[in-house]
Amino acid sequence: MTARFSSLLLSRRRLLAATSVVAAAALTAIAGLSPVRSAGAPPNGGDITFLIDSLGSTWIPNNSAISSFQGHIWGHVTDKLVYVDADGKVSPWIAESWEQNGDATQFTLHLKKGVSFSDGTPLDASAVVANLDIWYAGRRNEGINPIGLFPKTYDRAEAVDAATVKVLFRAPTLGFIPTLGYHGSILISPKTIAQPAAHQADLAKTSGSGPYVVAAWKEGDFVKLVKRKDYNWGPPAVGHTGPAYLNSITYKLVSEPSLRVAAVQSGQADVAYSPSPQELKSLKEAGFTIATPRYLGFVNGLAINTKLEPYNDVKVRQALQAGINRKEIIDTVYTPDWKLATSFIQSNVPGATDHSDLLAYNPGKAEKLLDDAGWTKGANGIRTKDGKQLSLTLHSNPYLATAKSIDELIAQQLGKIGWKVTIRAYDVVTFGEKVRFGGPAVPAYEVTRSFIDAGTVASILTEANNGENWFNLGDSDGKLNELRDKIAGAASLDIRNPLLDELQTYVLEQGYFIPRTQIVQRIYVQSPKLKGEVYNGIAYASYYTATIGE
Amino acid sequence: MRSAYLSYAAKRFAQAVVVILLAYVFTFVVVSILPGDPITNVLRDPQNGFTEDQIRQIIAAQGLDRPIPVQLWTSLSNFVTGDLGLSMRSSRPVTTLIAEVLPSTLLLASSAFAIALLLALTIAYGTQFLPKRFGQGLLRGFPSLFLSVPNFVISLALIHIFGFQLGLFRVIAPDSFWATFFAAIALGVPVSARIAEVLIANLDKESDQEYAAVARSRGLTQVRLFARHLLKPSSLPVVTVIALAIGELLGGSLITETVFGRTGIGSLVQRSVSTQDLPVLQAVVSLAAVVFVLVNLIADLVYPLLDPRVKLIGGRRVRPTTADDSAAATTAAVTS
Repeated sequence: MTARFSSLLLSRRRLLAATSVVAAAALTAIAGLSPVRSAGAPPNGGDITFLIDSLGSTWIPNNSAISSFQGHIWGHVTDKLVYVDADGKVSPWIAESWEQNGDATQFTLHLKKGVSFSDGTPLDASAVVANLDIWYAGRRNEGINPIGLFPKTYDRAEAVDAATVKVLFRAPTLGFIPTLGYHGSILISPKTIAQPAAHQADLAKTSGSGPYVVAAWKEGDFVKLVKRKDYNWGPPAVGHTGPAYLNSITYKLVSEPSLRVAAVQSGQADVAYSPSPQELKSLKEAGFTIATPRYLGFVNGLAINTKLEPYNDVKVRQALQAGINRKEIIDTVYTPDWKLATSFIQSNVPGATDHSDLLAYNPGKAEKLLDDAGWTKGANGIRTKDGKQLSLTLHSNPYLATAKSIDELIAQQLGKIGWKVTIRAYDVVTFGEKVRFGGPAVPAYEVTRSFIDAGTVASILTEANNGENWFNLGDSDGKLNELRDKIAGAASLDIRNPLLDELQTYVLEQGYFIPRTQIVQRIYVQSPKLKGEVYNGIAYASYYTATIGE
Repeated sequence: MRSAYLSYAAKRFAQAVVVILLAYVFTFVVVSILPGDPITNVLRDPQNGFTEDQIRQIIAAQGLDRPIPVQLWTSLSNFVTGDLGLSMRSSRPVTTLIAEVLPSTLLLASSAFAIALLLALTIAYGTQFLPKRFGQGLLRGFPSLFLSVPNFVISLALIHIFGFQLGLFRVIAPDSFWATFFAAIALGVPVSARIAEVLIANLDKESDQEYAAVARSRGLTQVRLFARHLLKPSSLPVVTVIALAIGELLGGSLITETVFGRTGIGSLVQRSVSTQDLPVLQAVVSLAAVVFVLVNLIADLVYPLLDPRVKLIGGRRVRPTTADDSAAATTAAVTS
């Protein structure tokens, strides 16, 4: 019995050994069949699923290119003339080189040859001119909007020859080249551009020149992209110019944030976009990749309405600047991935300088400023002056999920030094209707905004040239006007950068803008198997260089 | 009798057309008086960087600055000629948008309807033949229970149990067989309650009738008695309820599709409401009104043909009480 049993065992062991040999041989055979890869070459193939909270509204390229949602898809389907990385550094892409004249009113772009759109149309000078024209003007009567942030000084563009484009401006426009790397400036086939809006709104009918093409899509559901095999003109800055590695990327709409994260956790999807910041810590500990890239733009903060009492008093604005504990905001609402604001523009913007000293938390200084300004604390802890309470109404920005939590924290911080803070949280529609820069009931407007080039910052702040008059100063602040005009007319960065530094100091010292934190508007949770994605200057993830492992 | 039926049919038809037009105008007015408009909402996103002047021009180009009555008239005359226009949100033809999502909703609604009918019949059968102590009373409580549990609670429970716990379907693949099946259950349960209520009430009434007693005394089996004798007369009022159930299915699909992540008419409505996409809302509401009115119209027109006891009095149908049923039953059926 025992003997028989042991012999059985033996035979089982032999069997196991035999099968493993066969398996090993089979594996070797398969390995022999697969093309030999040079050591270190990334693995080709694979498919990923990216779960996103919305797929925006329209797919008309001009109207959707800068959407937080569709921008992801456009980034894979289209190329740009230049590449802007996360530090705002501009490098060649479809434009291999460029020159500008002395006062930055004329630019010449030299295009890469042999580039084509997926419909077969060559990406040549005339195609670039067609794109520049529609970015600037749109076709409003048809519902094709201009690209809002394209320089309004644009005059015209001419095709000098098939690979050379001359672009002319009515005034110095230093920001033109960086604009070409911004999310609105996606190159679309001139055949698509010539089509009416309803045709352009069908994503499947739009041709770009990017590493992926649209294979299928359903509105409000998904977009599936497949690799374009003949792609060979990627931006050198990302270290790869040939076809993409991943075969396909599927963007699938799942509106519930916890479902998106759960799907990645369970291996049903590879990336979840916009998880709630509170989940990040535990996801990181569980081994998932968390990306919180910053875009180039303004920090999240408050533009103060200087026409409204008591914020017409510089001392009160300065007390506000010193009375906010910015570190506590990051510790309470966010994770260490968020950075302290060092100016009113993000620290990765070229031309941004460090003004942390002006933004230090100093409640003692704030209380003294308020005392000097005549605001005295009552028995209930709220300061009053001439029978009026020191009050501040905050309208939480509906475009930022965490805005209200930050407002609540700020209300506590300011409450300690005698402020009475009211918080109003409107939905997007009501916010758009009621809350404006300098509105009669809006002492502080919460800003979340990206921009392309620091040169455009100064002109937004006042009301000249269609500016947005952020601080409701009109043209009353001579120093701000002077800085604005000098910056707009600066013909080189060497002239412009010191002026920008002066502008940042002045705006923060005057308490015109109250920074809260550097902004992260795009958060990604990613499976550890997926590697090698790149984030550009507007914080979109590009999977052009990404690979997926076992 | 025939002329009475024709005038009844004509009146019903005219009413149906008026209801559809009223639904259209009502939707237009409601959406128009809401604050904001879809174009401005998009343009005001600070990321877009539009000036007030540009926003004004774009709105004028869309004709959104014209007075409401003018906009309504334009929209209504296009609708009557079958032109549903372009979605304000996506700039794609409204007909395309609806055609894209309709199959998914039709599949869900028809599966839900089949499940609802099956469930209602099962419950109704049980209430007639289950002995009292074997839970007949419990079964009678089911319809009110089904009606009182909100649709989304059922949906979430099903997703949690069968999707997450048992792994029968993946949440990110809502069009798979099992995902559709459970979505149809979630949608069908409340609808089954309505049908079951009416069915039970009628079955109770019919089983007290003489003919049922006679049938029972002849020793008919339960199933035969139910299927051959009781079900037909009890089902007639159900025709009316089914017409109402279509409305439930339309409304419920909105919630079920959102919770299950399906892309159908419901999710299209949800997207369009949140962005105030008037042309799409108009089309969907009108479509729903057309379906609803049409089903009711068919029910109203078929009913007198099915039930010989119904009398048509000036565009209304009147069913005599069961007391004169025997008399009415002898009158010839209406022939069309």
